[in-house]
Amino acid sequence: MLKDITFGQYYEGNSPVHKTDPRAKIVLLIAMIVFVFLANNIFSVVFAALSVFTLMYISGVPLRMYAKNLKAILPIIIFTAFINVFYGDKNTGIVFEVWKLTVTWGGIYRAFFMATRIILLIFISSALTYTTTPNDLTDAIERLLSPLKYVGLKSAVHILAMMMTITLRFIPTLIEETEKIMNAQKARGADLENGNLKQRVKALIPILIPLLISAIRRSYELAEAMECRCYNGGEGRQRMKQLHFSFRDYIACGVVFAVGAVIILLNILL
Amino acid sequence: MALLQVKNLTHSYGGSSPFVHDAVSNISLDIEKGEIIGIIGHTGSGKSTLVQHLNGLLKPTEGQILLEDKDIWENPKEIRKVRSKVGLVFQYPEYQLFEETVYADIAFGPKNMGLSGNELDKRVRDICRIIGVKDEYLNKSPFDLSGGEKRRVAIAGVMAMYPQIIIFDEPTAGLDPAGRETVIKIINDYRRETGATVIVVSHSMEDMAMLADKLLVLNDGKLEMFDSTEKVFSNGDRLRKIGLNVPIVTRVFAQLRNLGVDVPEDVFTVEKAVEVLKKKAGEKNA
Repeated sequence: MLKDITFGQYYEGNSPVHKTDPRAKIVLLIAMIVFVFLANNIFSVVFAALSVFTLMYISGVPLRMYAKNLKAILPIIIFTAFINVFYGDKNTGIVFEVWKLTVTWGGIYRAFFMATRIILLIFISSALTYTTTPNDLTDAIERLLSPLKYVGLKSAVHILAMMMTITLRFIPTLIEETEKIMNAQKARGADLENGNLKQRVKALIPILIPLLISAIRRSYELAEAMECRCYNGGEGRQRMKQLHFSFRDYIACGVVFAVGAVIILLNILL
Repeated sequence: MALLQVKNLTHSYGGSSPFVHDAVSNISLDIEKGEIIGIIGHTGSGKSTLVQHLNGLLKPTEGQILLEDKDIWENPKEIRKVRSKVGLVFQYPEYQLFEETVYADIAFGPKNMGLSGNELDKRVRDICRIIGVKDEYLNKSPFDLSGGEKRRVAIAGVMAMYPQIIIFDEPTAGLDPAGRETVIKIINDYRRETGATVIVVSHSMEDMAMLADKLLVLNDGKLEMFDSTEKVFSNGDRLRKIGLNVPIVTRVFAQLRNLGVDVPEDVFTVEKAVEVLKKKAGEKNA
């Protein structure tokens, strides 16, 4: 039931991608996305796709896991491609015309590019979330945002990261709690499966109110527990797990930027 | 015919994944009208899974649950009717309170059964009288009550459906001794008034000794014993083998017997112990 929903989709593994520093991975993810969108001819797009497939292969995460993520977003891809088909330059050659809509070769070409880019984008970001634990991700985000403290947002970065960590930690707990409350209300004859929209929305009240109350209770308890352990924000706090930027990470950066350079070269030369 | 029959019940968690695990396996039992049955077993022995089958919150992987000789899953659309006949009070029931007033919260269950107007009002007021929810509480917010009172109101919310069978999962968990006694009194009051069958899941052997006519012992999802409370508690060694025990007074009396004091074996409650010891003192003086 509810517990089958996966949040944070870390896939246990020991690949070079898993071992790369999460900070590097986040920066390289952004770089890769930029490169994929820079690719504007068939050669550079094919090269970008090959690079992404290589990354997926190295990550050691089964292909069906990537396909699962793609499936969720497939309607959006199809819709985008479909719209793009009609937006080509008429000079590229008309395939057929229906009413006021014209399908051109240029449009089909565009649609193909758009779809490929979105698919690659999904694959790249999946490669990040599959190979990085949610905790590593929040750590990395905190470190990457740390320059903000020089512009007067000193505690904001730490607070943001702490909030993300706590949120991730409590998702499974709250799911379990929701299930318990749902069962308890069902035992009192609550009907959660039938009825029209209005009735169904009303049926949520007996679940949401106890859930909200318990979430607030939990947050008070957690705040007290943190204070008891002398938590007073990010100042002077050290980490148990230090992130180390190693030789491997420099190689990863080098490879990704080389891929980027090749894409730009292919764009210019061909 | 028994009121509630469990036939070869098996429930597996994990579906078709490699982590399939039978939470309860091949359990069969008959529960007669008016009995008070205690279910004991260590954590993870399948107690909660078993009771959630009895009111149709879980569907058996294999086997059947018969209520008055009818399979409760015969018509899945009617499962809510089963839930009003077999009430289930979860652990820490006070966390499910949600209405603005105590009255409205108690009325939630009977309302779901389709009752309204005078009939609904009568039900709520009757149950409050039976288990001692004070009139002045009815218009208060349930969140303003003390912990013990919240639990009393939450239990009333299930009892207001007047189930023929009422199941309690750890009803005394987290309460002080006075609170525990109150809950046990509530259970007894409801039963006296309605003649309902009561099933109680508990870790406390003392509560069980006070309440239960029969005990059902679960071990690792299997039925270990199902017999009268006296018989089960006279099998101390077998209980200890599966991580359970007999009530403390029973253990004290066993020690006394080891020391050569002539006391009976079937002492499970403090009241009985006091009675036996008084009698003994009387004999000595005479």
